[in-house]
Amino acid sequence: MNLLAMFDQDLVASVLRSLIPILLAALGGMICERVGIFNIGLEGILLIGTFTGVAVSYGTHSWILGSLAAMVAGMLFSMILGYGAVYRKGDPIVLAVAMNILAVGMTSFLLLAIFHVQGVFKDPKIDGIPTWRIPGLADIPGIGPLFSLTPIGYLALLLVPVLWVVLFRTPVGLRLRGVGERPLAAATLGVNPQRYQLLAVLASGALAGLGGAQLALGNVVQFTENMSAGRGWIAVVVVMLARAHPVGVLGAALLFGFADAIGFRLQSFGLPQQLTDAGPYIVTLVVLILMSRRFKQTRAAQLA
Amino acid sequence: MTQAVNDRPGSGVLPRVGRWLAGPIPVSVVLALVVGAVFMLVAGVDPISGYRAMVSGSFGTGMGIANTLGRAIPIIGIGIGIALAFRAGIINLGTEGQAVLGALAGGFVAVYMPGPGPLVALCAMVTGVLAGAAWGLLAALLQNSLGVPILLATLLLNYPARYFSSWVIRFQLKDPSTDLVASKQIDPGVQLTALVPAGPAAEAVRRTFGPMSPVTMILTQVNWSLVIVAVLVIGAIFVNRRTRYGFEAGLAGQNPEFTRYGGVKPGPLVLRTMALSGGIAGLIGVLIVIGAPNTRMIEGHIVQTNYAWTALLVTLLALYRPLGVAIAGLFFGAIIVGSEAMGRDLGLSPQIAAVIQALVIILLAYRVALPRFRRKRQVAASEDPPEPEPQRPAAPAAVAAPAASAPTAETTETGGER
Repeated sequence: MNLLAMFDQDLVASVLRSLIPILLAALGGMICERVGIFNIGLEGILLIGTFTGVAVSYGTHSWILGSLAAMVAGMLFSMILGYGAVYRKGDPIVLAVAMNILAVGMTSFLLLAIFHVQGVFKDPKIDGIPTWRIPGLADIPGIGPLFSLTPIGYLALLLVPVLWVVLFRTPVGLRLRGVGERPLAAATLGVNPQRYQLLAVLASGALAGLGGAQLALGNVVQFTENMSAGRGWIAVVVVMLARAHPVGVLGAALLFGFADAIGFRLQSFGLPQQLTDAGPYIVTLVVLILMSRRFKQTRAAQLA
Repeated sequence: MTQAVNDRPGSGVLPRVGRWLAGPIPVSVVLALVVGAVFMLVAGVDPISGYRAMVSGSFGTGMGIANTLGRAIPIIGIGIGIALAFRAGIINLGTEGQAVLGALAGGFVAVYMPGPGPLVALCAMVTGVLAGAAWGLLAALLQNSLGVPILLATLLLNYPARYFSSWVIRFQLKDPSTDLVASKQIDPGVQLTALVPAGPAAEAVRRTFGPMSPVTMILTQVNWSLVIVAVLVIGAIFVNRRTRYGFEAGLAGQNPEFTRYGGVKPGPLVLRTMALSGGIAGLIGVLIVIGAPNTRMIEGHIVQTNYAWTALLVTLLALYRPLGVAIAGLFFGAIIVGSEAMGRDLGLSPQIAAVIQALVIILLAYRVALPRFRRKRQVAASEDPPEPEPQRPAAPAAVAAPAASAPTAETTETGGER
């Protein structure tokens, strides 16, 4: 097999396809991390987003309404964590683990109850998200696929610089970071930490819900039980690797998009799916190990 | 803290039971069942007949009780493994992978090792324990020497284990004579039989207790893993209460800083705990493979039954106490079996079980209780000085304990709006 043949235009497109949902979820997780809430419920929120997106798009024949509904559903679902962790002092890990299981149960249950199918729901009435090709730019060899994304794809990529500006160059971002780093100081200065924490969780719900819409209406046009398939967990790792920095989040998410895409490629060269599926997780672990010095530093800083 | 509340001198058994009933666990369960009823209404099913089908499917018949027990055994077993880790403040989310690899390694021994049946079964179990422990230790080593958070290491290690196992079974061990994607059959002599194996003894049991009675069903349907898991539960209680390791682990879970000052090295403790926790998960994996009625390693068996994640919820409900894990495991096993029965009878998805179980845990984390009880609790809480939670947001500091993760606790104390 010719290894070089793997690196072509299609690979770039395929990387972007894997990247967008993870990126959106990870940006959400990053905001939560900044206010000091460890959000490992992204996996469940993604799944809720996929189901709602497909269900509403099927009902209304509109991908716009489907995506908006996915966003709203993600926000509502993330309230479980937001309300519980911020106002009831529940353990965020416990809440998020339960959320992830609840999401699998709810979506599978409703799939059978509403659409009377099990496993996969596919219907021509589901309106998929269109690809917006930017004429001219989309024909540039190499980076062409970057200019033929879904609207959600463009939004996700734009959000990286936008969130960077918001976090580091605006008063809102300063308060957000303050709440996470020195909640006491923030409260003394008149910032209500709880409100910021709740808003951050809601934002992560909206972003991960949107990621779900991209997954189920953009990448494919169908709902499959448990179709988030660990992407939310990878997003959690992305946030940690990037130490909650927007640019780092993009870089780490790219890495996993790349691992995912390479896995698909290797399948077409005859490697069994079971082995290539494990790829992204192994890459994740290896990167975690390679970056371990960073964790040690962070830990030492926390203890100091 | 919870302990203190429960042990406050009540004026007799009845008030104490009443207080417990008004407390977080029963109220959470009832509320979760109410939300479950709403889901049934959405599906167009009358909740009363739904729950009736659920109860009769899980406890109504001898068969139902035997099924509930059979389903609860792996959940309780893995739950004990998780509880030992969580009690020590180590978030082991990797029992699924540990059980899968235990099942693979132990199952391989059970299928291919020659020799007398009981010896092979024993070797299979030992191999399973070793494989599970090794996978657990890997995560512990990653945390100790490289600083990879154990929550992520254990979680990520699930996926290679899962995919590797399904690759081995599908492409290397697949028995062509069956339609299942599964290994060859395990020799009947190696299998863990039912408590009373089929034969004249089983006939005698049937005659004595009646063919469909619960006793007959349990004795002839449930296999010997029941005894092994019962021993595990008792063993865990003993380790927690009577051994130095159990004391240190419990202390480390409550307050790692203090434990370190007390001279306990956190690194070795993590290693030991993860070996124990992973080993138990691996053992349960083997028991699933070699316990009747199963006769083969089947691709995806442990992953699809979702035993490990249900066990995690059970452990959280039980607040890491072994006996509580056993009780909660039976309860969740009953919900699963009942939901399957309901699904068959009324055409619903058995996934309603996951919905109810997850809701119980969420509501429990909210510490919902009847109002009167809450007031008492707050009084009790204000009498105790607040526990200083060290800067470890990852510590699973008990669902019901008031100490939440550091930032949240601090912010509420500093008096943001309540």
